[in-house]
Amino acid sequence: GVAAGWLYLRHQKERQRRERRLHHLRSLSLGQGNFQLQDTSGAARSKADFRGRWVLLYFGFTHCPDVCPEELEKLSRAVRLLEADPALPPVQPLFITVDPERDDAAALARYLRDFHPRLVGLTGSAQQVREAAAQFRVYVSAGPRDDDGDYVVDHSVLTFLLDPDGIFRDCYSRSRTAEEVARSVRGHMDSYEPLAP
Amino acid sequence: AAGMAAPTMEERKACWGARDEFWRCLDSHGDDAAQCEKLRRAFESRCPQQWVKHFDKRRDFLKYKKKLETEGFQPPEAAGKS
Repeated sequence: GVAAGWLYLRHQKERQRRERRLHHLRSLSLGQGNFQLQDTSGAARSKADFRGRWVLLYFGFTHCPDVCPEELEKLSRAVRLLEADPALPPVQPLFITVDPERDDAAALARYLRDFHPRLVGLTGSAQQVREAAAQFRVYVSAGPRDDDGDYVVDHSVLTFLLDPDGIFRDCYSRSRTAEEVARSVRGHMDSYEPLAP
Repeated sequence: AAGMAAPTMEERKACWGARDEFWRCLDSHGDDAAQCEKLRRAFESRCPQQWVKHFDKRRDFLKYKKKLETEGFQPPEAAGKS
């Protein structure tokens, strides 16, 4: 009857709205592709493996003078703030190195020990890491080496939020506090609608 | 992996502490590095050379930024004015 017809139209409208929104997010074309890296146990991990979880992703390197420890401290704190609310789904903190030459599995494991216990670290070949960084348009530039062969890597400082469909939702610069990041993530969780199965 | 291991958390904090002590000395001596040589050496011994360079640049940048904020941008004077 009329009621069924009206419900059908409303459902269609909802579906179209959702598709437009998704189209818009995809058109930002950040975080597209499916990076292929390895975690600190040597296991292969792709971006798709993290589907089903909200992800907060930071690119950095272990020889970083101060920015990376500060951003990882902030990331850990934001995750802990979100964990404090049992109504929220868990957030997966993720670290991808921009210095695969030095940051192998062992180096990452040592470094990430000091931060959130669930923080997963990923490394890979130079090409795999380059591709992952490029997918997020993360600028990476290794500086000149000194006599000891030491160098710093200049890179974009951003934390990316991915939703459980693996779609980029937001990014947070150095100026955002842990509290602001947590609040923003909560907002995205509230407005999140899963893709149709 | 090439070269030395990355500094641990303890080593990082020791480096940052030495840097901060050195910078506090510079602050209280109008950036006269000659007054702060001992702390400079402590800073250099506690931090990787690459980090010393990085923090030196950071300080220069912060000073420049402060100068811009307080004095405003002053373009360099041309050699011969028209």
